Formats: sequence, structure tokens, C-alpha cells
Amino acid sequence: MASPKARIIFRKGVWEENPVFRQILGICSALAVTNLMTNTLIMGLGLIFVTAMSNATVSALRKVTPDRIRMMVQVLIIASYVMMVDIFLQAYLPEISKALGPYVGLIITNCIIMGRCEGYARVNPVWPSFLDGIASGTGYALVLLTIAFVREVLGFGSVFGVRVLPEGWIPWTIMVMAPAGFFMLALFIWVAYTVEKRTTRPKS
Amino acid sequence: MKGRVFSVIYMFALSLVFTSVVSALNVLNKDRIRHNEALRLQGLVLSVLNIAPSESVSQAEPAQLFSQRVREASLGDRPLYVGLGPDGSTVVGYAFPVSGPGFWGPIAAMVAVDPQIQKILGIAFYRHSETPGLGGRITEEWFQKQFQGRPLEVPPAGMRFFYLKPTGTARGATELDAITGATETSRRLEKFLDEELKKTVPLLLDLKSRKQV
Repeated sequence: MASPKARIIFRKGVWEENPVFRQILGICSALAVTNLMTNTLIMGLGLIFVTAMSNATVSALRKVTPDRIRMMVQVLIIASYVMMVDIFLQAYLPEISKALGPYVGLIITNCIIMGRCEGYARVNPVWPSFLDGIASGTGYALVLLTIAFVREVLGFGSVFGVRVLPEGWIPWTIMVMAPAGFFMLALFIWVAYTVEKRTTRPKS
Repeated sequence: MKGRVFSVIYMFALSLVFTSVVSALNVLNKDRIRHNEALRLQGLVLSVLNIAPSESVSQAEPAQLFSQRVREASLGDRPLYVGLGPDGSTVVGYAFPVSGPGFWGPIAAMVAVDPQIQKILGIAFYRHSETPGLGGRITEEWFQKQFQGRPLEVPPAGMRFFYLKPTGTARGATELDAITGATETSRRLEKFLDEELKKTVPLLLDLKSRKQV
């Protein structure tokens, strides 16, 4: 596996084809779990694991899987990995499992995973597919963590549960609620596009 | 035709493999998950009985405190947790689970009442699948706190224990602020809470009068 290729996969997954702010996929969970950094991190790690493993599995089976049942096979594979994550969280991180609630199960329907399986893993070898899964998952996790950082700082005055703002800080309740997820995501997309425009202009 | 048969066999084999792996993992971790759930329940009982505040329970090991301060009994077909004082013999309250249908799925709550069974010590909703941000807000502090200290008199026929009213219009001891936008959850909650309390409170009074708890 040549490393330049891996770099391209990562650049695409994290920035150029970032699933959240380029393709606007996986928004449901992006809005729901981003009010605390810890939950967001676990959700991101879960998604990286599921996307990478599903991609690798779909890719490994790509030559034997009959085309007309490939969707069923993909859903089966994704659902199995998600259930593994869910069992793991319930057994070893019960507090976080409770906080994430139904959103762990909903990873199954996260369009990012299905999209990567169908768009990449189905036609590429195992190792690049695995890397692609990690890259897309990382792209998702980074955007969510950025949003969660702002929401947790303003909404709770803390980062990863550690107080960073002085005691007198009045929390912005709106930041804890779902609408703030929409605002922050929109702002994030705006900033990301502005930054990109500024960096590409000198070239043209 | 041959391709179709292969597809069916392939899908079957693959499902078998994946479900086996997931089931195996589930079986391996079942005890651990059950243990976690038991710990959570113990913490919940301690916090509704006001024996230990909910924040400190999650950090300290609740199992030990639970074994010292709570005696397990039964109330009809459900468990009854008898809260004991620091001396380990005086009763400080009774806690029991109630449950009923919510909007999307069952809602379960733990109710704690004082030793005289005259008022509510605390209530905590611990399992539900209501809409996050709307019905899901029943787990919020302000909503659960409203129940604290409410009288527990069995209401006359045709009346309910508690009524959930639009925010700001709740008057008197039996009316509480509902969650804005969660009409269905409120309606169902009010109904099952009433039914469950009408079932359990007389049972508890009866048990107490016969000095069995």
C-alpha cells in the first residue's frame, strides 16, 4: 500500500469529500449528540469503527456477493457491527451508553456508512476500503467534535466535563438544545467554505 | 435460476455467521450488562429515597450503601424497596417501580413515598423512548422535582392523583406543569401514573397496617 494513496484517501475523507459538511450526511446524529464532547467522541469512535470494519468486510466479500442482494448484505454487515458497539458500550461504558441512548442503534441508518460501502468498498480492495472507512469516520468525528466544543463551552462552560469558564458564567441554554446543533452546523459549513475559497483563490 | 439459489444460500450463510458472532458477544457480556443495570437501579432507588443524591451515587459504589440502607420486599407482583435510616432500622420511605405506555413506547419510573404514605418523596423516570427534547424531557430535574412533597391522598371516584396542566397554569397540590409540546406524553403519563398509584398505594397501606414492611 503506497502511502501517497493513503494520504489522498484521508484528504478526501476529512476535507475534500467530508461526509458531514460536503455531502451533508449523518446530520441526525450530528445534531443530537453534540452537546457534550465525551458523548461526541465516543459516537465518533463508534462510527469510525463501524465504517472501517463494514467497508473492509464488504470489500472482502465484493467478488462473491451477488449484485442484486448487495444492499441486504451491506445492511446485515453494518447492523452486526453496530450491535457489537452497542453491546460493548452497555457492558463497559454504561453511563455513555445511557447518554447516547437510541443514537448508537441509529448508526445503522447513518448514510455515511452505507454510502462508503456502496460507493467505495464495493469496487476497491480491502486495505484501501478500510482506510477509507477510517478517513470518512474521522471526517465525521472532527466536524462533530468542533461543533460539540462550541456547544459544550457555551452551554455548560466546560470541555470534556472539565470546567474552563469562571463560575460566574451564565450557560447558554440554547446551546444544549437541538436547535443549536443546526446553527452550529450551518456556521461550520459557512466558515469551512470561506476558508476554502481563500486558500484556492491565489492559484486561479 | 442457479444465481437465485446461490443468492438465497449466500444470504442465509452470511446471516448465520453474523448473527452467531453477535449472539456470542451478547452472551459473553450478559452478566456484565445485567450487573451494570442492577447498579443503576440501586443508585436510582437511593436517590429517589433521598438517601444519597444522584450525583454522588454515580461516583461512589452504591452497592454497599444499598445493602445497608435498603431492604428489599415485594408489593404485589412488583419489588418494594424499604429505605432505612442511618441506624439501619427506622424506615425513611418506600420506593417501588411503576410503568405504563408512553407515546412511543413504555415509560418506567421509580416512585418514593414517605413512611406514613402521605406524600411523595421523589420520582424518577428511568426508562422511556419519548421524543428527545419534547416527551424525553420527563427525565429533566425540574419536571421530576415537581412531584416532591406532593400529598398522596387517594382521590375521590372519577378524579386522578395528578393532573398535568399547561405550563404556568398549574394550581393546587394535584396539578403539575406539563412539558410544552409533549401533549401525548403528558396525557399518557397522567393516565398510567394514576392507574399505577391507585393500584399500589392501597396495597402499600394494607401491607403497612399489617406491619409487614
